[in-house]
Amino acid sequence: MTRSELAIKNAARRPLRTAVTVSGVAIAIAALFTLLSFQRGYQSGVQGELSRLGAHILVVPKGCPYDAASIALHGARWPCYLKAEYLEQVRTAPGVGTAAPVFMNALYDTAGEQTVYVGVDRDIAGLKRSWRWSGTLPQQEGDLLVGSDIASRRGWALGESIDLPGVPGHRGTVRGLLETTGGADDGFIYMRLADAQRVFEHPGELTHILVRLSDSDRLDQAVMNLRGCSAGLEMNVVPLTHLFKTISNLVSSTRLLMGAIVAIALLLGGAGVSNALLMSVVERTREIGTMRAIGASRPDIFRLFWMEAIQVSAVGGVIGSALAYASSRAVELWLRARLPFAPTDVLLGWEWGVAGGCLVGAILVGSIAGLLPAWRASCLTPIDAMRTQG
Amino acid sequence: MQPVISALNLSKTYRRGTEQVHALASVSFEIGAGELVAVVGPSGSGKTTLLNLLGCMDVPTSGDLSIMGHPTRGLSERALTRLRRDQVGFVFQHFGLIPTLTVEENIRLPGLFSGKQVKHRAAELCTRVGLDHRRRHRPHELSGGEMQRVAIARALLNEPHLLLADEPTGNLDSVTGGSIISLLQELTAQGLTVVVVTHNDRLAESAARRLVLEDGRLAPSI
Repeated sequence: MTRSELAIKNAARRPLRTAVTVSGVAIAIAALFTLLSFQRGYQSGVQGELSRLGAHILVVPKGCPYDAASIALHGARWPCYLKAEYLEQVRTAPGVGTAAPVFMNALYDTAGEQTVYVGVDRDIAGLKRSWRWSGTLPQQEGDLLVGSDIASRRGWALGESIDLPGVPGHRGTVRGLLETTGGADDGFIYMRLADAQRVFEHPGELTHILVRLSDSDRLDQAVMNLRGCSAGLEMNVVPLTHLFKTISNLVSSTRLLMGAIVAIALLLGGAGVSNALLMSVVERTREIGTMRAIGASRPDIFRLFWMEAIQVSAVGGVIGSALAYASSRAVELWLRARLPFAPTDVLLGWEWGVAGGCLVGAILVGSIAGLLPAWRASCLTPIDAMRTQG
Repeated sequence: MQPVISALNLSKTYRRGTEQVHALASVSFEIGAGELVAVVGPSGSGKTTLLNLLGCMDVPTSGDLSIMGHPTRGLSERALTRLRRDQVGFVFQHFGLIPTLTVEENIRLPGLFSGKQVKHRAAELCTRVGLDHRRRHRPHELSGGEMQRVAIARALLNEPHLLLADEPTGNLDSVTGGSIISLLQELTAQGLTVVVVTHNDRLAESAARRLVLEDGRLAPSI
């Protein structure tokens, strides 16, 4: 029998009390796991979206830049449009490397399923450098490049002629199949810009322009140049890094609040451990006296109770992490409905680093919470402990 | 031959509120190896106080005490614990078994604190006290006599030179108490020094020597 086994047997002596104590730690650790996981998931999700978009600047119609960014990234029907003639001014602005015009629309078919269409020209390949596809990009009228998700969901194959979902009377041919990108592109249908403008009856209009700079370090200058061109007042020039920084700052304040709640939960969990063990010290005073009589030193008694606190907290840590992971899908749905901007990537996933951090956190809480009861137990003199009734 | 216990003018005074209680007053005696000594006297005469001093559970207010030639005066808490762990075994009236541990685990408990490998020794002691068939049982599944045997086996685990027993038959019926007395006599015959505090006449009579305490003072030897 080891000290650790002895501590486990002691903790198991009052199963209900131990279960309640473990639950307190588990809830706190579940909150910590969710917070840390969200922090990592959100950051990497936003960065992923940014790199998948391949642009430094988004040029959109006047209006809320956050809404515009969200629509451009995740796909939806646009409420207003840019004139296509602005494109030339954007392309010729100093510092602009590539400017890809986009016409995006989203329609619902009879089954109520949304399909996002994106009209692009050949410049899109210069921005979406991470794209891999089989077949070709749309080159002729009716050519389509379809995302991997929608292709597999609808069972489309290369060369197949299809009815455009939600656009009665229009057909197209799948000329290219996009490999999985992990982003919203997987659910989009790409077509020629001219086709999109014609099919959706917006000739000479764009929804947005994706701009990649020749030198990304000169973003501010490029933004000033774009805002200063003659069409500058008619469009919104949104530097994406600034936009994501603003969104991250908004989310950070929420994270700060969540962090404070987690800290309070950890404090309460630790107080629960401390309280349960203090009760245990009182109940087991005579036993402590017996152990001192048969040769246990003060450090032996200290270690015994301290270990018990750490074990209870560690179990709470493991259960809490598992609980957080089990409920991550539901929590993610809840969060997505409330966030001003949520990347398409998984926000709350299992990460060994986070789980390890939570376990260390739980052990730390147990270590601190166990100090007082362990100290009290070890301070009992054998004679006083033996005199205790019960 | 060096005595196992040597007590010279041992006194213990407690403070109870504003009152001073003289639990022991200038008690002197020696106990040799292999002796079975009974400490008797009325309640409140200082028997348990004496036993606690002999077991290094408490320190005398004045006087000198040596256990196996080791003077205890001025020893640190750690040194007293080590002395208690290595030289002394304790048996209590209420057995003092840990309810969550099995018989064998209870017997092995002192080994956890001494750091010794005690698995075989514990099994051997279990057999010696006649509880081989109860190894995996927990204390609540045992009779009073069996629990006291477990407590004796536990006290012997670290191979002490001195066994201190506080009313070892106090909670037992006369037949069971008799078997515990026989076991203590057996241990004495094997060279172990046993000091028992008792109100049990039979146990006191079985002792080779009796120390009679009255109001904290040692009465002339019987």
